[in-house]
Amino acid sequence: MSGVIEARELRKRFTARGNVVEAVRGVNFVVAPGEIFGFLGPNGAGKTTTLRMLTTLLAIDEGEARVAGLDVTAEPAKVRERIGYVSQLGGADNLATGRENLMLQGRLYGRERSHVAARVDQLLGLLDLASFADRTVKTYSGGQRRRLDVALGIVHEPEVLFLDEPTTGLDPQNRANLWTHVRGLRDRGVTVFLTTHYLEEADALCDRVMIIDDGTIVAEGSPRELKRDIVGDAVVLRLGDEDGASERVAEVLASAPFVHSTTQAEDGELHCYVDDGPAALPELLRRFDAAQIVLRGISLSEPTLDDVFLAKTGRSLRDSGAGVAV
Amino acid sequence: MKLVRDTGLLAWRRAQQLLRNPVWLFVSLTVPLLYLALFTPLLKDIPAAPGLGGNVLDEFLPGILALLAFTSGANAGFSTLFELQAGVIERLRVTPASRLALLLGPLVTGMVSMFVFDLLLVAVGVAFGFDVHVPGLLVLAVLLALFYLTMAALSTAIALLTKEITGFAAVVNGVNLPLMLLAGVLLPISLGPSWMGVLAHFNPLYYLVSASRALALDVFSGGALWQAFAVLTPLCALSLAWATRVYRRAVA
Repeated sequence: MSGVIEARELRKRFTARGNVVEAVRGVNFVVAPGEIFGFLGPNGAGKTTTLRMLTTLLAIDEGEARVAGLDVTAEPAKVRERIGYVSQLGGADNLATGRENLMLQGRLYGRERSHVAARVDQLLGLLDLASFADRTVKTYSGGQRRRLDVALGIVHEPEVLFLDEPTTGLDPQNRANLWTHVRGLRDRGVTVFLTTHYLEEADALCDRVMIIDDGTIVAEGSPRELKRDIVGDAVVLRLGDEDGASERVAEVLASAPFVHSTTQAEDGELHCYVDDGPAALPELLRRFDAAQIVLRGISLSEPTLDDVFLAKTGRSLRDSGAGVAV
Repeated sequence: MKLVRDTGLLAWRRAQQLLRNPVWLFVSLTVPLLYLALFTPLLKDIPAAPGLGGNVLDEFLPGILALLAFTSGANAGFSTLFELQAGVIERLRVTPASRLALLLGPLVTGMVSMFVFDLLLVAVGVAFGFDVHVPGLLVLAVLLALFYLTMAALSTAIALLTKEITGFAAVVNGVNLPLMLLAGVLLPISLGPSWMGVLAHFNPLYYLVSASRALALDVFSGGALWQAFAVLTPLCALSLAWATRVYRRAVA
């Protein structure tokens, strides 16, 4: 292993009202230097718990984690020097100005005042904060506040930046804006580890994605690789209500050699994976027509990370209580 | 030294917050002022009570100072709760700042504001005939600081453990009244039956109140003073150690 972040068999259990909940169940991964690594999964999958273990906030029950070459359990203080962390809540002081927040944060890393002041000026420019840097944070918009949160996370020029759900609650425009800033950090050599439950975010922003469900990793790779593994396109079928419809549809699909596999989402939609969607669609329609099956809907989609999630877990991420960006 | 530096930075941060939102400063000052204004006059007509000799304020004002240390310490957890829920605590915990400094920073500011209020209360007292004994009051300041730190550390730790306002308020309010009544803040415990006196000896506030009465009169002999130091010093150290330990693990 030679990553900036390395996790081996990470485990975490919580006890709630006498029940033991295994939040993270033996997670392994390696994050390479200078990549944007996305941790994708529904709420409650174990993303934040994993992140908190990697950032020294939560004790590791079992397994081992190394960040920036340091063992997280053995040398938490040294790990803190070298990582930045932006929680879901952000945690900037409402009553202080953006600049004051950044100054204090930099000073807490042991830097001298003049050094921090120069760095803060640089950050205010880098993250487009300069025009409101001397207003109190409570007057900031959601997007402004989020950019300040990110600035707080990198004031000490960390090697690794952890972002927990960085764009939750932001509108599409501010989300795209923040993505641009995160890519800019990557281009400056910062390794970014982020969690998200937005498929589009993982797809558009991340160099590599790891999908976690119920404390276990179900897939890992670049978004392109993950989708390629699904093979081809997805034909999405919505069936009628009449008796036996699903059995008859299954017969038709089984007789069609170009359909590689089929999964059923919780909302009843059937996802059929084929090599060549535009060719398969009319052929499928002909076969359904011949079998006198009436469909309520049929559509063609290029595979998304949701198809990957569905193929690996049998559930759609969209159905898993996760909000989806539009 | 890192601890001193980090504590200073975080104390200054809290001071800025207080100065920008001074409303609650006045709130915490109203309680002791109300006691002075609305309770002291009641005592004037019971001079026969044992332990209430001489000027009523000489007996009562030291108790009010102890009470202020108690309430401002016990309330320290409210801002901890707020900052926990706003993610501030988590943000600070990921920095390499000393864990003890994370705890002490806000407490130092709270202690300074308590001393400002103490001075105000003494000034008001003087206007109504309180007799100032400087050496005694200086020693009392040390005891008040010890007690404030103890209560504030415990309150912070309980806030971090309960994580939300209802649980925290239940604990604090549940403990507040019995400790206050069993400390002889308002009237000396010696007025009550002996079982109250026995119970009071399990209450750290009782030692502070007893010592404060003696010190306000510049009485350094007698058991009250050394007993107070003997109880409050280790208690303060234990509370700070425990709260720092809780701080290491706190997650919103």
